[in-house]
Amino acid sequence: MNATLVLLLAALFAAPFTAAFGTARPSLTRPVAIVTTAIAFLAALYNAFRPGPVIDKEWAPAWGMRLHFEADGIAVLFALLATGIGLAVVIYASGYLPLHLHHEHRPEADQTRFFAFILLFMGAMTGLVMAQDLMLIFLFWDLTAIASYYLIGFDSQRRDARVSAFMALIVTGISAVGFLIGALMLDAEFGSFQLPTLIDTLVPNYESDIALVLILIAALAKSAQVPLHFWLPRAMAAPTPVSAYLHSAAMVAAGVFLIGRFYPLVTLRQWMLDGLLVVGIASMLTGGVLALTRDNMKQLLAYSTIAQYGYIVTMFGLGGTAGVFGAMFALIAHGLGKSALFLTAGTVTEATGARELSAVGDLWRKMPLLAVASALSAASLAAIPLTMGFFKDEYFFEAAAHHGRAMQIISVAAAAMTFCYLARFWWGIFGGPNIGDVKPVPFTLVGPIVALGALSLIGGIWPAPFAKVAEKAGQVALQSDDSFHPAYHIEWTTENGMAIAAIGIGLALFFTRRVWFDSVELAEVFGARFGPERAYRAGVLNLNNLSDRIHWIEVRDLRSRVATVLAPAALMIVFTLIFTNADNSFRIGRIQWDDFPLIMMMAVAAIAGLAAAIPRDHFSMALALSGVGYALSVVFALLRAPDVALVAVLVETLLGLLLFAFLGLLPRNVEHADVVPSDEPQEAGHRHRMRDWVLAAIGGSLAFLVSWGVLSRPAPIDSILEDYVELTPDAHGGAVVTVILADFRGLDTMGEITVIGIAFLGIATFIRRRRAR
Amino acid sequence: MNNSMSRQAARLLLLPTWMIAFAILIKGYSDSGDGFSAGVIAALGVIMQYITFGTETAEKLRPVRYARQISMAGLLVALSTAFIPVLRGQPIMTHYPGPGNAATHIGSLELTTPFLFDVGVFLLVMGVCIGIFDLLAHATRRERRP
Amino acid sequence: MTLVVSIAIGVLFAAGSYLLLQHDFIKVVGGTMLITHSVNLFIMVSGLSRGTEPIYPLVPGEEVSDPVVQAMVLTAIVISFGVSALLISLIYRVYVSHRSVDIEHLSDFEERLVQLEEAQVPAEPGIGVLQDREIAEENGNSAQQAAGSTQTEPRGTE
Repeated sequence: MNATLVLLLAALFAAPFTAAFGTARPSLTRPVAIVTTAIAFLAALYNAFRPGPVIDKEWAPAWGMRLHFEADGIAVLFALLATGIGLAVVIYASGYLPLHLHHEHRPEADQTRFFAFILLFMGAMTGLVMAQDLMLIFLFWDLTAIASYYLIGFDSQRRDARVSAFMALIVTGISAVGFLIGALMLDAEFGSFQLPTLIDTLVPNYESDIALVLILIAALAKSAQVPLHFWLPRAMAAPTPVSAYLHSAAMVAAGVFLIGRFYPLVTLRQWMLDGLLVVGIASMLTGGVLALTRDNMKQLLAYSTIAQYGYIVTMFGLGGTAGVFGAMFALIAHGLGKSALFLTAGTVTEATGARELSAVGDLWRKMPLLAVASALSAASLAAIPLTMGFFKDEYFFEAAAHHGRAMQIISVAAAAMTFCYLARFWWGIFGGPNIGDVKPVPFTLVGPIVALGALSLIGGIWPAPFAKVAEKAGQVALQSDDSFHPAYHIEWTTENGMAIAAIGIGLALFFTRRVWFDSVELAEVFGARFGPERAYRAGVLNLNNLSDRIHWIEVRDLRSRVATVLAPAALMIVFTLIFTNADNSFRIGRIQWDDFPLIMMMAVAAIAGLAAAIPRDHFSMALALSGVGYALSVVFALLRAPDVALVAVLVETLLGLLLFAFLGLLPRNVEHADVVPSDEPQEAGHRHRMRDWVLAAIGGSLAFLVSWGVLSRPAPIDSILEDYVELTPDAHGGAVVTVILADFRGLDTMGEITVIGIAFLGIATFIRRRRAR
Repeated sequence: MNNSMSRQAARLLLLPTWMIAFAILIKGYSDSGDGFSAGVIAALGVIMQYITFGTETAEKLRPVRYARQISMAGLLVALSTAFIPVLRGQPIMTHYPGPGNAATHIGSLELTTPFLFDVGVFLLVMGVCIGIFDLLAHATRRERRP
Repeated sequence: MTLVVSIAIGVLFAAGSYLLLQHDFIKVVGGTMLITHSVNLFIMVSGLSRGTEPIYPLVPGEEVSDPVVQAMVLTAIVISFGVSALLISLIYRVYVSHRSVDIEHLSDFEERLVQLEEAQVPAEPGIGVLQDREIAEENGNSAQQAAGSTQTEPRGTE
């Protein structure tokens, strides 16, 4: 039993299973979703104790791409996060989503779409973290971005949701292209897409530097680090379970995951680590400052996420065992804590109808369980002793202490800000004066939060199991065997001192918040006016205007579009004909009597073609088109191609039926559509027709010259047709053409049937069964 | 078309049409024929029912009700023929039995994976063609209603 | 022989191009179908050998018609079937939505639609932080059931 494979398949198949069951019977959606997620989580847990074997299969050997999956330390950590928090979120969503859909006046059936996409995301995330082949990583990376697009834009009737989804997709998608370029560069330089091979063989040079920088940019954009952080607060337009899952614990974690995966390569250059440090610090401070004054609950948490991932990136930048292990542990602590806080925000909004801190208060009386659970989660994020998060800050301070005074001061300041805004968050909801009333909420909206809060508490008292997972992950990133044992040190260490200082300053900030609130807000306004989001908007707006201008100048309608393509093509063909060597071309071969039927049928086809073009009405055109098709099938038969003739006859029949069925729909007056638009006089009509015929004649003569020139050339000596004819009996076949289609060139046929399938989907979209418009 | 003779003919011809389609599918590998042609012929048999009997009657036929599922099944069969060898560690679309190995026979039909691939194509094409015509038939009916 | 075939190909291509330049959408689709036929014929006759059908049992020494080209044309015919069917259903959709298959009508309609949209939406982008303050001042409170940041944005960012 291949544990790696079980985990991979369980995660990947969760979405299609749920979608299939959900479309068949909507009441099954939620149970199936919960069960499949639970199975994936159990598989991840199993791999944590007993990692499965490596999966390594070739699938495109000519390009060096392999299906290479491994459940190593980093993979297990992130898979546990993805499936575990996924489980909590799915259970929460099973209670939240019906209420949400009811508020937005949407049908119950949209639930299936929601769960399918959440599970698609979970599968993509699991695949991403287990993949060891760069192309596989890219594939799953983009898959998470696509799932995120649909989830952010789930409330598609709202404009802000659509805009935010688009923004997230653009920012993460364009940086993903950078990742692809980086991966291709690494393959070109070092000959492999497989990450373990690259780690062993990479020697830093100019190309590898550029490639790694591109990859790091993609990772930082995904984790919403400065300056590509502006999409995350916007993404809060998504429903709360989505924010709790994707935008606190899973998708933004993917960016940091990538840094962890590539860490052995990044440490080869000190300036890359310094760059990470700078970006991380900037994000910590920006996110922290902005979170201090947010009123909207989810926005505050979003900026906090930016800041917390800034912590993690900084710790990667600081490096060393403290930094890397600390980063891994912080990921676990943050994932558990932040998702719980997001879910809390969702529950509070459900209960009170309010989205802002200023609109709620004193909820600890009415919702004591929720208050305690979210207090534990907030405390964990604020690094209070006895919660899991205390250790993340301890290692952060330890790593900072190695880097000098300035770093220490920054880290204490960041921790203090974290404490302050988290205190604001919790106190704003559960403390303070009583505002508004409270509806009861189902337990599924509180239960998962309690579970997550309990985990934060357990992690603070007994961190060993979580530390083990983080240790294995850190060992992969560091490529070493160092160990990691967080514990309480009841003595005067630097870290404890810094922690006390941070909490103290945080408390002071919290109690004096009325004093500094307005001035901080002013600074934020300044930043918003001149920040990177402005640049994004300007960029998109200008691109759109440019595209519109080109559209209206050059390409007004279908005909000018066609002309824009055909005219330059014709010019190029004319040039080719003039300037190529035309010896041996344009020969007139001999015509034998045997060929006479062939020539007759081709003449029929050509005349039928003209008959299709000349008359005005549609039925004649359709009849003549069928005539062309049937005549050509006879031509194919005479050219000794029975399979092709059969298919041509059948396709022509089908297309003829389709065309006639459609023409039957049209009323009489549309049938005789004139060539000329109604407001132009009759002479202009004639002129148009002449012009069209001249252009058509030019096109036809070019086609004639090209085909005559090509067909007159002598055939090459070697060709593959003899091989195919010889090999057919070995392939257990008798008809060479069918064997070519199904065996020798089977991939082409696969492409063909995929095209048919996609065309069918398109047709089903255009011609809907139930709704007319 | 309300001609009773054409109705009789259409009703009688459905099964023979399918038989011919199967025949073309089976002989496709050793003689002229193709999974694609077989699928279209089978679909044309059903389409004949649409033309003679009208949409209401024709849409009750089994293949019409399950057209989408048939086409998906066909696509799955064809794709799995291609991708299952990858799971076993061989290049994509490796066919069994290989050259030189004997194949199991049913009469003179050899059961090989290319034949399975052809069956997948057959199902897909049949499902797609029937599906398209069903959609168009319903659309036409909607347009005709006042 | 090559000359005759080339004439047929040229005529079909010319007829197809003429139809492509028409106003009527249905004729445009007919034009694509004709050009497809012309190209399929071209591929078919560019086979490297002409002889008997490429089906076993074969007489040794006898020339066989090029099977590679036949396989290619078969694939091309099937794919063009899919595309043509898609185009026909596209015309259906256009007809049902606009009750016209005239390209001029459709482009006029599109132009008027764009002008209408541009008139409605102002061009100034809103910015998040400012937006928060504005909303907090205007609405003051939590009863806002709509999204937390409905902003006036240029249509460019859609």
